This record gives sequence, C-alpha cells and structure tokens, in this order.
Amino acid sequence: MRIIKKTSFPFLTYRWIAIGISLALILGGLAAIAFGPGLNLGIDFVGGTQVTIKLKKAPNLKELRKAITKLAVGEPLIQRFDEPEKHEILIRVENPKGKEGDFTRPILDLLNTTLNPNLGGTFDLNTQGAKELTELLVRGNPDGITGDPDALAAHYAPMAEAVMAYRKDHGMFREVSELGQIKELSEAARTFLEKRCAAGEFALLGAESVGPAVGADLREKAQLAIVFSLLGMLIYIWIRFQLPYGLGAVGALFHDVLITLGALSLTQREINLPTIAALLTLVGYSVNDTVVVFDRVRENLRIKRTGELQEIMDESINQTLSRTLITSGTTLAVVIFLYVFGGDVINTFAFVLLVGIIVGTYSSIFIASPIALGMTRMFDRFKKKRRNKRRARR
Amino acid sequence: MDKKLLWRIALIVIVIVVSVVSLYPPAKKIHLGLDLRGGIHLVLRVNTDDAIKAELDDASQRLISQAKDKGITLGTATTDPKSLSFTVEVPAGVDTTALRGVAESYLPEFKINPGAGKWTFQLPANVARNIRDMAVKQALETIRNRIDQFGVSEPMIQRQGIEGDRILVQLPGVDDPGRVKELIGRTAFLELKEVVAGPAPDRKSLLAQLGGTVPPDAEIITGGKKNSEGITIGKEYWLVKKAAIITGRELRNARRSQDRYNAPAVSFTLIPAAASKFGAYTGSHIGTRMAIVLDHRVMSAPTIQGQISDEGIITGNFSVQEAEDLALVLRAGALPATITYLEERTVGPSLGHDSVVRGVRAAIAGLIAVMLFMMVYYKWSGLNANVALLLNLVILMGAMAYFGATLTLPGIAGVILTIGMAVDANVLIFERIREEIEVGKTVKSAIDAGFGRAFGTILDANLTTLIAALFLFQFGTGPVKGFAVTLSIGILASMFTAVFVSRTLYMIILAGKDRVESLSI
Repeated sequence: MRIIKKTSFPFLTYRWIAIGISLALILGGLAAIAFGPGLNLGIDFVGGTQVTIKLKKAPNLKELRKAITKLAVGEPLIQRFDEPEKHEILIRVENPKGKEGDFTRPILDLLNTTLNPNLGGTFDLNTQGAKELTELLVRGNPDGITGDPDALAAHYAPMAEAVMAYRKDHGMFREVSELGQIKELSEAARTFLEKRCAAGEFALLGAESVGPAVGADLREKAQLAIVFSLLGMLIYIWIRFQLPYGLGAVGALFHDVLITLGALSLTQREINLPTIAALLTLVGYSVNDTVVVFDRVRENLRIKRTGELQEIMDESINQTLSRTLITSGTTLAVVIFLYVFGGDVINTFAFVLLVGIIVGTYSSIFIASPIALGMTRMFDRFKKKRRNKRRARR
Repeated sequence: MDKKLLWRIALIVIVIVVSVVSLYPPAKKIHLGLDLRGGIHLVLRVNTDDAIKAELDDASQRLISQAKDKGITLGTATTDPKSLSFTVEVPAGVDTTALRGVAESYLPEFKINPGAGKWTFQLPANVARNIRDMAVKQALETIRNRIDQFGVSEPMIQRQGIEGDRILVQLPGVDDPGRVKELIGRTAFLELKEVVAGPAPDRKSLLAQLGGTVPPDAEIITGGKKNSEGITIGKEYWLVKKAAIITGRELRNARRSQDRYNAPAVSFTLIPAAASKFGAYTGSHIGTRMAIVLDHRVMSAPTIQGQISDEGIITGNFSVQEAEDLALVLRAGALPATITYLEERTVGPSLGHDSVVRGVRAAIAGLIAVMLFMMVYYKWSGLNANVALLLNLVILMGAMAYFGATLTLPGIAGVILTIGMAVDANVLIFERIREEIEVGKTVKSAIDAGFGRAFGTILDANLTTLIAALFLFQFGTGPVKGFAVTLSIGILASMFTAVFVSRTLYMIILAGKDRVESLSI
C-alpha cells in the first residue's frame, strides 16, 4: 500500500508564500502574548499555591470563592478540573508577595471548616490517612486484641490500608456505609468505624505550592534548558552539515516554538514544567524531521554535484515526503490518544505536542530548507565579493 | 544458517533475557514517581541565621556568667546576628586585662574589639560558615530521625541548593500531608526554665511587681491559660530566666502518657548528667515554679513539690495524636534552627492512580493504532517493524528497571511518544528499500542498501533528539527528569531494534533462499 506516490512538487518555489503564512502566524502569536491575553504562567514559574480537590456533589463555586477570598492576597482562581461529573475543582491563589512558607495548609483548613462544618470530633475518612486510621483502631481496639501497642498496630494496619486502598480506587468515600464493601475489615472493626467515622465533603487530590526562591530557580533552569538545547543542535548540525543548514534547522525551531507559544497564549493553557518539557520534545522532534531532509540533500549533492541547489532541495523533500508524513502520522496518532485519554494533568503536555508536531512537520518542509537555501546563497555571494575584492587588489 | 546470523540472534536473545529478568516482576521493579504513586515532595530552607543568633546569645551569656565568677560584673549584652557580633556593656572601673583573659579563654573563636563603655565580640566569617553548615547537617539528621520514627518507606532526604541550606524531602505514599509537614517543620526545642514572675494577664501587670522593667537575665514568654480541667481558655504572660535549667538535648527518651486528669501528655526522662543537675536544682527550689517551655511557649509551669532527678511530664491540652507526635519529635531531637517551606507538591493517591490508568490506556490505544497502520501499510515488513517496536518497549522498561530510573507521568508520555517515534527508523528504512526496489535492485541488495543508507540518517536524526533530552535531564526536576530518561532510553533502544533487530529478522526470512523475487513491503 502506498499513500504518497512519487511526487515532484516544487516546494521551494512557493517558499515566499509559506514564509508569509508563517510570519503571519508568528506575529499573531507574539501579538497575543504581548497585547492579548499573554502567557498563562503556572505556579512553577510565578509562585503561588494550587489545591485540587474532589467533592461529593457539584461544587458551589460562589460560596467557595467567597470563603477563600478571606485568606488569599489576590483574587482566587477556581476552575473545574477534568470531567464535570467528577466534581473536581482546582483552586489557585497567589502567595503573599515575596513570602515563603506553608500556604497549602491554611487553604485546606479553610476548606475543612467551610465544607465540613458538622464533622465535630468524628474521623474524616476522606482527608485523613492510613496512619491516623490505624491509631484510631488501636485506641478503640474493637477486636479486643491483647498485647502491646505494636501487636495491636500490626493487627489493625492492614485494615486501615484496605480502607485507604478503597478510597484510592474510588476517589473518595461518599457514605460511611461503603465501609461494608471492604472485606478486610472485621465485623467489630466495621461497626466501630461506622460509629466513629464520617465521610467529609471533599478529598484532596493534590496540592502544590511554589515560593519565590524556587520559582526563580525553575524559571532560570527552564531558560537554560531551552537555550542550551537550541545551541547544542545548532552546533551539531553545523558540524555534521554546514552552518547554513544549522541556521535553517534552528530557524525552523524558533518558528515552531513561537507558533506553539502563540497557541498556548490563545488557549490560555497553563505553562508549567511539563509544558517546557513538551516544548523541548517538540524541538527535538522537529529537528529530527529537518535532519532527515538535510541528510537527503547532502546525499543528492554528493551524487549529482551539478544542478541548482533549489532543485536538489525540492527533489530531496519530495523523496523524503512519504517518510515525513508517515512518521508525523504515527506520532500524531499516539499524541491524539494521549490528548484524549491522558486526563487533565497531562492534557497541556499533549496539546503542545499536538500543535508542535503539525507545525514541526510543516516547518521541516517549508521553512528549514528555504532558510538553508537563502543562507547558502547569501554566504556564496559574500564569499564571491571577498574573492573579487582580493582579485581587484592584486 | 551462517555464523554471523547466529551471533546476531544470540545477541538479541541475550538482550531480551536481560531485559525481562531485570523487569520481572514489573510491579516491584519499576519505580513509580511521586506523581504516580502519590506522596509529598517538599523543599525547605533551614534558617541558619537562627543558629548564628543562638550561638551569639549563648556566647554572650557564657561570657557574662564566667566574668561574674571572676568577680567582674558586666552590663547587658545585645546580639546582632546580621553583623555576626554581640556587644557587652563594660562599666567603668572594670579590670580590662582580667576581662580580656576571661574572654580569650572562654570565647577563643571570637575577635575582641574593646571600646569605650562597651566591647564588641566578632564571630569570624569562617566560623559562622561552619555553624551554618553544622545547623543544616543537624537539621538533616533530625528530619531523617523524625521521618524514620514516623515510618515512611523509601523516604528521600537530601541537602541541596547553591548555599547548601535547602533540604529536599520526598515521601512516597503519605496520605496525610498536613501531619507530616507539621512533624517535619516543628522546631521542638524544649527548655525547663526558672519562673521569675507570673502568670499575669498582660505584660504591664507582669512587670508591675518588678518596677516595670525586665531584668537583664530574664525574658517574657507567653503560654496558654488553662482552667482547672486543663482546657486552654486564653493567653497569659510569664517572666522566666533566660538560661535554661535543662534543654531538649539532654533528654534520654520521651513517650506519650497521661496526666492526672487522664488527658494525653508526654513523659520524658533525662540523661544521667542532666539528671544530677536537675536533681540538685529541684532539691534546692522546692515550692517554686518551673516553666516547661516548648518552642518559646510556656506549656505548663508546675510547682516543684520535691526533688526530681530524671523524669518529668509535659501537659498541655493535647489530643492523643498531638501527644504522640510531640513525643516523637522530642525523641528525634530538636531542629537547630527554624525551617521555612519553599516548595510543596502533594499528589493524593487517587490522582496518581487515575494518572497511571489513563496513561496506560492511552499507551495501549496508541500502540494498537500504530501497529495496525504498519501492518496495513508495509504488510509483512510491517510485522517486522511491530516486533521491533514491542521489543523496543521491553528493552525500554527493562533498562529503566535495571538503572532504577523512576517512571513519572511525563515519563509515561515519553513512552507513548517513543511508540510513535520508534517506528520512524523503520519507516525510514522501509521507504528506502522501496526506492531501491523501484530502481530495479534485487531484494537482497535493496535491503542492504536500504539499511545502509538509512542508518546515517537515523543516527543524525536521533542524536539531535538526544541532545534535547540531555539538556532536559540536566536542568529538569522530578517528573521532567523522568521524561528525559524514558525519551533517551527509548531513542537508544529504537536504534537497536529498528536497525539491528529488523535487519536480523530479514536475514532469518531470507536465509537459505538463493533468489528472492519479491518482498512484502
């Protein structure tokens, strides 16, 4: 089977149109970043606190916002997380300016008092851990085990673990009676727990807090990672090919990264560490695509020696076209699955790759070679001029 | 079959066996990152300025009391941790040579700057650096002790940061982050101090008995006011001696117990040297009150009923859990300085679990889609590529298990991406073989030329991706590092499977046949 038959499309003839389209996309993206919504930098880079919780029922966002405004410095950002029927929300607040400290705890305490006003002294199955549950059982000792506290703990710990494993699988306890589904619990322990426990309104999915010092570190590291990998690639291609090709590949990379950043700005997706990782992956992927084309150009130049560089480049792009499209297709397919099935945590990561692979494939065909061609011609003209000058001097 | 082919098959079998052995059983061999198994990642800073201040305070008190023993009465001392120095008022008429002698013998590490009416004692920068370093080391040890006693499996506690004052703590599987943070962050500095005056409802009435000023050797601290049942009902002020009779460093053990109202409390015993000191003190102070101070708060101030030598009890309206945790931190030792949380990442167990399930689902869906495509597009050669792809995944997971690398959520994404990119090498080769066949070459030479020509391209293309992955690893943290690892191993493995394994598979198929007319590609 074959999707792409032998082609001889004069890609480079249309290079100015392609460059025009790309410039428009890049400038549009930059405009969105500079004058539009800007980049939504996550707490990894600007600092702040973020708490994700799962609620028993649909959240009353207004009430939550009101409660949280009491302690936040800035306006709290509360948004749905994942699919709406899961009742998961993400709360993000700024930390007090320039201060370090434990900022997740006050938010969790506040959520507890706001959402669980009537728990009293009961044990909340949704917020407390296996260790605490074991201690509760050891103190109550419903099975009437004799022995020292260690023996009691050894007896009750597996039960507590089983209760927590149930919570892990189901996200949270909706009712205390769900304890009945846990086989590891002894009859007496279950009755005891049903009396002493309650199923609170929320369970903690995750909490993150980044202070200014770490935020600055992470920013610096991300910048260094990007700068060094671009430099590394430029140097590698310069050594393996020639400087114009290195510049072509890196030019295509800037193109891909800028357009993807523009897309991130327009969709207002959060830029965090994994997003940067995805950007760097797209850099690696795009350069991989470009190198395959350049490799072919180099090979054809060796075989033919004659002929206009533009024609050889066109021929090379055509020869590698089916490979380029198939690889992009398979990679795109897996990334789409990641985007659809991967869940909210990995969604932006998949989004960057999705945009990046499309843009990267396009740029390795329409952007990298034209830049390499233009640079080669410029360098040649420059060399000629110098040669002429030298001759004239003689 | 020729010898070369046998060698190739043997090598492949060895690689598979090593991978499978190091991977088995997968549940135990693949380390899941905190983001997948749940847990807490903390970066905290040890406020080493506290240790400097404590050293200066201690040195100034030591100087004053030693001088007093030699008959030299000094004025009050003021410490200035910022400039690493303290100043003592030296009244006129003091024998300065004698004072210098005292200072030199008891504070040898300080530089003395005598002045008019007051002397300044400067701590050299290198000594200060040592004190800071020791404080971080001690904090690291204390935190490790506390976590060990709390019982977390596979904790990671590391010193980091350019200034070396940061500590990274990773605790997998912790499901109540609040309690652990409290446990780690608590200074837990216990002091038993002599009560000078108090309690009083406010500062003013406390000092009214003493003429309105705080004596130089005393300080005001607050504590919770309790009713007769031990329940805290307000705040009260105490005036206590600065110098402690006993500190937490002199504890031998601490455990949860009960007070006389059957409420949870913490009992402690002292090391022998401290016990004799404590016995002498309590024996000579019967009827006076002694404050039990924890982290600069008065927990209780019992009246000394008789001589006590080696044990005591701390009461303070604790819950059972609080008493348990206090006993734990007292056993594990006090932090030499306060700490500040710089970064926290907690992943609840259910979120991590959810991420694994979804990641695996996406990976399987992607894998099936890619394999189906390859089969349809390249027919039997597609099957060849699929075998290579599966082998690639086995090697990838095996290598991760072998090197003890951690699988994170972005790492799973890296595996998925590898599935898409690993077939790239095969695609490059197959497209090349097709071209060669079209030019009219025989199957065997087309395969040779296809692999030969494509290899250079594959090497160049993959090396550039490796460069990006390398810098990601260098500058990345946690989950991102995990991604860089899987991506790098995946790329290297794909070069082996797509080039070496696929070639071998072709060799096996074509072995023994003299003329091959067509290739299913």
